Amino acid sequence: MSRMGWKTNGLAYTVMKSERGLRGGIHWKDNMIAYAFLGPALLVLSMFLVIPAIMAVYYAFTDYYLLTPDMRKFVGLDNFFNLFKDPIFLKSLLNTLKFVVCVIPLQVGAALGMALLLNKQRRANTFFKVAYFSPVVMSLVVISVLWLYLLNPNEGIINNALRNIGISAQPFLTSPKQAIFTIVVVSAWQGAGFQMLIFLAGLQNIPVDVYEAAQMDGMNKWHRFIYITLPLLKPTSVFIFITTLIGAFKLLVQPMVMTQGGPMNSTMTVVYYIYQTGFTDRMVGYASSMALLFGTIIGIVTVAQRKLVKEDDD
Amino acid sequence: MKKLLFVGISLLLLVVAVGCSKSESVDGDGQKNITMWVHVSDENEEGKVYQKRVEVFNKEYASDHVEAKIEFIPRSGNGGGYEDKVNAALTTSTLPDVITLDGPNTAAYAKSGVISPLDEYVKDQDDLLPSIKQQGTYQDKLYAIGVSESSVGIYYNKKMLQEAGVDLKTLPTVDSPWTWTQFLELCKTLTDKYKKPSIDMQLQAKDEMLTYALTPFVWSAGGDLISKDGKKADGVFNQAATVEAMDFIQTMLKKGYTTRTPVKQAFETEKYPMKFSGVWTVTDLKTNFPEVEYGVMPYPVSPNTKKLVSPSGSWQFAMTQTSENKEWSAKLVDWMTNKESNIELSRSIAALPVRFSSEEVMSKEFSEQMNVFMKQLKETGHARPVTPAYPQVTRAFQQAVDDISFYDQNHDIQKVLDARAKEMQTAVDKAN
Repeated sequence: MSRMGWKTNGLAYTVMKSERGLRGGIHWKDNMIAYAFLGPALLVLSMFLVIPAIMAVYYAFTDYYLLTPDMRKFVGLDNFFNLFKDPIFLKSLLNTLKFVVCVIPLQVGAALGMALLLNKQRRANTFFKVAYFSPVVMSLVVISVLWLYLLNPNEGIINNALRNIGISAQPFLTSPKQAIFTIVVVSAWQGAGFQMLIFLAGLQNIPVDVYEAAQMDGMNKWHRFIYITLPLLKPTSVFIFITTLIGAFKLLVQPMVMTQGGPMNSTMTVVYYIYQTGFTDRMVGYASSMALLFGTIIGIVTVAQRKLVKEDDD
Repeated sequence: MKKLLFVGISLLLLVVAVGCSKSESVDGDGQKNITMWVHVSDENEEGKVYQKRVEVFNKEYASDHVEAKIEFIPRSGNGGGYEDKVNAALTTSTLPDVITLDGPNTAAYAKSGVISPLDEYVKDQDDLLPSIKQQGTYQDKLYAIGVSESSVGIYYNKKMLQEAGVDLKTLPTVDSPWTWTQFLELCKTLTDKYKKPSIDMQLQAKDEMLTYALTPFVWSAGGDLISKDGKKADGVFNQAATVEAMDFIQTMLKKGYTTRTPVKQAFETEKYPMKFSGVWTVTDLKTNFPEVEYGVMPYPVSPNTKKLVSPSGSWQFAMTQTSENKEWSAKLVDWMTNKESNIELSRSIAALPVRFSSEEVMSKEFSEQMNVFMKQLKETGHARPVTPAYPQVTRAFQQAVDDISFYDQNHDIQKVLDARAKEMQTAVDKAN
C-alpha cells in the first residue's frame, strides 16, 4: 500500500518535471522533498497499521501469551486446527453470518425507503432528514445503552406499549432466540440514516426529464421505480452494499454493551470473541489466528461480491 | 537545508515514538526511587488515601534515602485501561516496582513471572485474614496483599418485612444462618404479600459479580469450581453439589422470588424488599437513599452441609519481578496494606479491613450492618480459585448461571454443567 503511494507520487513528479522541459531520470535528491512530506504520514501509517498487521499475521502462528511476551514459540498451524474445534468460535461465526444476512436487507431497505420518501421537495423534509440521520452521529455505546432501557422487560417503553395493546412482554435481549434479531433491528435503525443520505444524493442525480418522458409514455409509479430509479441507483447501491457488508461483519459494540455475547453465546460475534480471547483470556496468538482467518473470509466475500456485481454489469 | 529539516522532523517523530526508556531506580547520590502504579484516579476517595499513605511513607523513610512515587491509572469496568497499560509495559519491560492487581489475577501474574513472592520480606503474615492470604497465594508462596476486603450479604427493608408479618428478631445471623429452604419460605411470604420478586439477586449482571456472589452457594453445598491443585474442572464443577446450588438459584427464578430482569434500583426505591449485594451498597444507601431503613443478613446455607460461606477478594498490591529494590518495594506493599492504611481506607469508603489488628479497631466504629459483613467475612470468607486460567473459568461459570436461568430451555442442570465444565477443563489444561 505504501509503495503504491510512493510510485504515484514519483510519477506525478516526473510528469511535472518533463513538462518543464527537464530531461533525465528521477534523482533521489529531487525526490527528497516528496519523501520528507510523506515521511510522517507513512511513519504513522506503518507504525499503527502496517507493522501491527504484519505482526498479527506472525503472532497467529505462535502461542503468544500476553503476560509472557518473550516466551512465545512458533506453533505452526496449531491455532487454526484448534479454531475449528472451538465451539464458541464456530458459534460466533454463525451468529455473525446470521447478523449480516438479516441486517443488510433491513438496513439498506429502510435507507432506500426513507430516501424515496424524502426525495420530494417538502419543507418538513429537513426535519425528517435530521431525525433519521441523528442516530448515525450518536456513539454506538450511547445508542446501545439507550436501547437497553427501551427494551427492559419490566419498565421499558416498548414492552409497556406492547402490554397496552394486549401483547405480553417480550424478552428481547434475554432470550437466546430473539437477542440477535433485536440487535439486528437496533443496528439497522442506527446505521440506516447514513445510507439514506447517500441514496438521497443518488436519487437527486437522476435527471427529472427521464421520469417525465416515462410518465408521458404511460408508465405508472411502480414501473418507474423498477425500470428507472433502481437501475440508475445501481452505482450507489453497490457502494452501500459493500460498505454495509463490511461494517456488519465487524459487529462488536452492540452485543458488548447490551448482552455481553449472551444469552448462551447467542450474540457472541467473531470480533467480540477475538477481543475476549486476546485481552481477557490473554491468548494473543490464538486471537490473532482468529483475526487472520476472519480477515481472509471478509476479503473473499468482498472480492466475490465485486466480481458478481461486475459480471452483472456486462 | 529545508530538506534536512524535514528529514530531521521525521527522525524526531520516530525517536519520540520509540523512546520512553526505563528510568533509573537508583540515582547517583544513592537515592532509591520506588515507582508504583495504582488502578484508581487521584480524585477518587480510595486514590486520595493511597496518595496520603505514600506521603507518610516517604516522610517515615526519608533518612533511608527512599522515595516512593505513585502514578494513578484509572481502570474502566473490569480493569481495562489499567491492565492494558500493565500489558504494554510487559512487552517493553517498563513495569514499575509495585503494581496493583485484581485478586483473581494473582495466579496468572505469578506463573508468568510478572510479580515476585513476598515471603522473604514480609514476615508478619499471621495478622492477615485467611481469605486475603488465600487470594494472594500461588503454589504456597504469598505474592500479593489485598488492600481491603469486601463481602456480599442480603440487604432487607425492615419496614417491608415487618409489614409482611416477619418478626425481625427471627432473622438469621452469622452464628445461626438459615438454610435455603428457610430462605425460600421468607421469599414466599414476601412475594405473596407484595406480588413482586422479593429479592434482586443481580442475575442480570453478566460479569464478575455473578462469580463473586454466587460461588458461595456452590461452596456451601460442598462443591468447587476447580480442584484444589487447580488441575481439574471436569468432574469437579459438574458434581452434585454444584447441581444443588444451581437448582436453588433456578427455584428462586421459577417461583418468581427473583428475576433475571429486575426493576432498576428496586430495593433502594423500596419496590423489592430485599437485595443481594456487596458491602459497597452501604455507601450508596447512605449517600443516595438515606431514608431506607435496612438490615443485613448473611448468606443462606445448603440444607445438607449447613456450612456458611461468603465471598471475599479485592484489588491487591504486589511487587514486580523486575523491581531492582525488592526490599523497599516489599516494604511499600506491606505499608500500603498495614493496619494504619487499612483503617484509613475503611474510614473513607465502605471497605472491610484485611488484618485482624485493624478489624479490631474498625469493629467498634462500624455500623451494625457493616459488622454483619465483617463477621461473616472473618469467619467464612472464601477466595475465588487461584488459577492462571481464571478468565475462562469465571466466564464458564457466569455462562452456566446464565444458561440455567433459562429454565424452560435448560431444565437439565447437569447437562449445562457438563458442557461448561469441559470448557473450563480445556482452559485449565492449556494453562498448566
